[in-house]
Amino acid sequence: MKYLNRPLQEVHELLKKKEIKPIDLVEEAFENIEANKELNAFITLNKEEAIQRAKELEDQEVDNLLFGIPIALKDNIITEGLRTTCGSHILDNFVPIYNATIVDKLLEKKMIIIGKTNMDQFGMGSSSRTSYYGAPKNPWDLNKIAGGSSGGSAAAISSREVMLAIGSDTGGSIRQPSSYTGIVGMKPTYGRVSRYGLVAFASSLDQLGPMTKNVYENAVLLNAIVGKDEKDLTSAKREEEDFTRLIGEDIKGMKIAIPNFLMGDIVSEEVKDKVKETIKCLEENGATVDYIDIKYIENAMTLYQIIAMGEASSNLARFDGIRYGFQADNIKNIEDVYLETRGQGFGEEVKRRIMVGSYLLSGENAKVYYNKALSIRDDMRKEFKKAFETYDLIIGPTTVTTAYDLTDPMDDPRKSFMDDVLVIPVNMAGLPGMNIPVGFDQNHMPIGMQIIGDSFEEAKMYKLASFIEKELNLDLMPGGEK
Amino acid sequence: MSNYIPTIGVEVHVELKTKTKIFSNARNGYGQMANSLTNVIDLGYPGTLPTLNEEVINLAIRAATICNCKIQKVMHFDRKNYFYPDIPKNYQITQNDTPIGYDGYVEITKENGETKKVFIEEMHIEEDTCKSAHRKDKTLLDFNRAGVPLIEIVTKPCMSSGEEVKLYLEKLRELLSFGDISDCKIEEGSMRADVNVSIRKEEKDPLGVKAEIKNIGSISNAKLGVEKEIERQTKIYDRGETFKPQTRRFDDKVNDTILMRVKETGNDYRYFPEPDIPYVVITEEMIEEAKKGIPMLPDERRKKYTEKGILEANANKLVQNRSLSDFFNTLLEEEIDFKVASNILLGDISAYLNREEKEITETNLTKERFIELVKVYQEGTITSKNLKEMLDTILESKDSIQDIMKEIGIENISDDSELRNIIKEILKKNPESVSDYQNGHDRAIKFLMGQVMKETKGKANPRLANDILLEELKG
Repeated sequence: MKYLNRPLQEVHELLKKKEIKPIDLVEEAFENIEANKELNAFITLNKEEAIQRAKELEDQEVDNLLFGIPIALKDNIITEGLRTTCGSHILDNFVPIYNATIVDKLLEKKMIIIGKTNMDQFGMGSSSRTSYYGAPKNPWDLNKIAGGSSGGSAAAISSREVMLAIGSDTGGSIRQPSSYTGIVGMKPTYGRVSRYGLVAFASSLDQLGPMTKNVYENAVLLNAIVGKDEKDLTSAKREEEDFTRLIGEDIKGMKIAIPNFLMGDIVSEEVKDKVKETIKCLEENGATVDYIDIKYIENAMTLYQIIAMGEASSNLARFDGIRYGFQADNIKNIEDVYLETRGQGFGEEVKRRIMVGSYLLSGENAKVYYNKALSIRDDMRKEFKKAFETYDLIIGPTTVTTAYDLTDPMDDPRKSFMDDVLVIPVNMAGLPGMNIPVGFDQNHMPIGMQIIGDSFEEAKMYKLASFIEKELNLDLMPGGEK
Repeated sequence: MSNYIPTIGVEVHVELKTKTKIFSNARNGYGQMANSLTNVIDLGYPGTLPTLNEEVINLAIRAATICNCKIQKVMHFDRKNYFYPDIPKNYQITQNDTPIGYDGYVEITKENGETKKVFIEEMHIEEDTCKSAHRKDKTLLDFNRAGVPLIEIVTKPCMSSGEEVKLYLEKLRELLSFGDISDCKIEEGSMRADVNVSIRKEEKDPLGVKAEIKNIGSISNAKLGVEKEIERQTKIYDRGETFKPQTRRFDDKVNDTILMRVKETGNDYRYFPEPDIPYVVITEEMIEEAKKGIPMLPDERRKKYTEKGILEANANKLVQNRSLSDFFNTLLEEEIDFKVASNILLGDISAYLNREEKEITETNLTKERFIELVKVYQEGTITSKNLKEMLDTILESKDSIQDIMKEIGIENISDDSELRNIIKEILKKNPESVSDYQNGHDRAIKFLMGQVMKETKGKANPRLANDILLEELKG
């Protein structure tokens, strides 16, 4: 490791002093990717473009912290001229002619896109094993999953293949893999980051966010990607703010809640113990931590399945091979276009969710299920709001266990949802949620803790996260610092 | 054939006259090269999201107002899910739960003068689909139309004849085109009507089996289609048979409706609220703003015109030509003879416009020049023959009316002092007539005017000459 494992500020200084050039970082990134090939973190590499861009940047003024920094994007983020597959066969040949808003923002900061990371097909899965391109592996143990659906971005950061990465989170897809791979992952408040150019899975839940090796870098990357976007009506207009501003502040007097549901029997003792240790540390440093109940939180999973699958069944209808993407051979009529192209193009999990989603919206079901789920979701949101009247933040474990074996059976779809049972309520409430590593299990697999904030309170979450990061001072480099 | 009571409802789609499409900034236009007015949003590319064109909301509120609808306070959009190549996302963004307008009516006047309210069930906003052209075993898709804003106006099943359908469609077309909401060109597809027809024996019977007629190319075909369909259904019932709910299309080659498909079960469109577009709150200000934008509507125009003394037939004719009527509206505050004005517009000017296939706005006729033309005509300075002679020049050149009159040899002495001198001379030469006048013989005026005209070779402005003459006589 030369530079990518170092703190962003340090690398920035080196770039500024012209002691290193962006091309050094880009070359290191591709060397690391080559050395870690087995991780399968990337679906598509952007090598030629990245090298060219690094050279173009050489003579330019290093005008911001992210200048010349290599970044990886989850492969459901639309990149002009760079293949975007969503981890699916149906977009295997899809090279977009436009950029996602987030991509434009990152390019404005003169970042360098290294490649597109592996993911569960269309974000549907919790271990990235539904990817058409094979599952990414966990850098801490190559026999384990990296989590999902942003498993590729998590593996790429955890292994330091790149410095920064973007993931997307519909039902935990940033936080859960971050927890499994020992990195910091933030799902911002719904509306914080423009969704324009994020291939939709469940429109009312999807949100893009930063995945990084430490808290500060996460906040810096969030600074770069937020903002109202005229192309996304669901994006929120907010005053500009610096998400790093509370980092390093004292947590004394902070009022923290932990929902009983998040510490229930479904969570393994090892995980709970680590979270309890962390709580103790917080209390010792002047924060109060209360166990509370949040109504409807236990229904979040059910609501999620209805809303996410219903929306997905409609969002994925556009993939018919007529205008772009894969089209099946020997098409005879319009029926074939749909049946064959979609039948061959989509993976099993995607088809399963489309079918369930279509059922949930058909006839009177929409009223019975979807509309009802929306209304209970509102109630749950209000319950969270109520908790935030008293508490600054809510915490709990991110996942019920640590990362499991890649060979574990995939035949029980409910099991896959259980991986996300603790992170899903956050999406349902539209709140910001993040993962911060808090330790390791007996096999030295990372354990993560979740921090949940009130809407648009990301800065406060970073404050707590940075405190924990500093106090615990974990070695989060798989295999130890090199 | 027995007599049955027909029940007819009409669904009309009109394309809104906006600059850009409803959910993207691609231009909204007709007759352009295929797929030239489209972008990644219209094509439903992955990751793209709809934006919402505010002009659409404004025009839809305007339409709802014109059709006397109640207006939704908070509305949202819904997705209508179905697979078809003409709908790029394989769902259409429409309004299922919260149509922007509801519970309205449009009033029609039947031939016998009787009026009837055609009730509007609801009016909603949606996006148009792309246009498919079938060529042998291939289908070509033109996405220029994809995402063009539409409003769909659904009546209650409240009409009972083809004639009423025709009157309703004519009225709706008139209202929406005068409201500057849509071009309402049926031949270009900017207005499309689907008609639902059923018949039953008596009022107390439940509604009969419904047939929907699509693909109607003109208003007269709508009437004909309804009449043919009533006839067809009557024959079936008279034979003691029945039929399945079905979709038919009007074929103008055979002038009859033809079966397209039998509706087996209701379609399942899996409607749900569009999550990409937040709810829209329609404020009183938005409604006021939209109302302000409504130009004068036909009924009001007709009323104004007849109040100005124009014959009803002429008022109707004026309203039929939107630009002529708009031109006429600019004159309403002026002090002119409106009868004369309307006659000139509907006579020689209309003849010219028809011949040249022009709108009045494409000529050089300004309000000021037209007022002058009306004056010289009304005063008798020019004859109707002169008018015909001058008209092409008036409409094509920018010369003043006086100059054009001079050009064709009609000179008008409107110079007060010049005319006054001539008149003074004449009075000197004709003392008998002066004393006749002073003794109460009004006839003398006529003689004196004759002398003025003779002296000026008819170029004196008659009204001015008359005024000066009287002044001088009263001395």
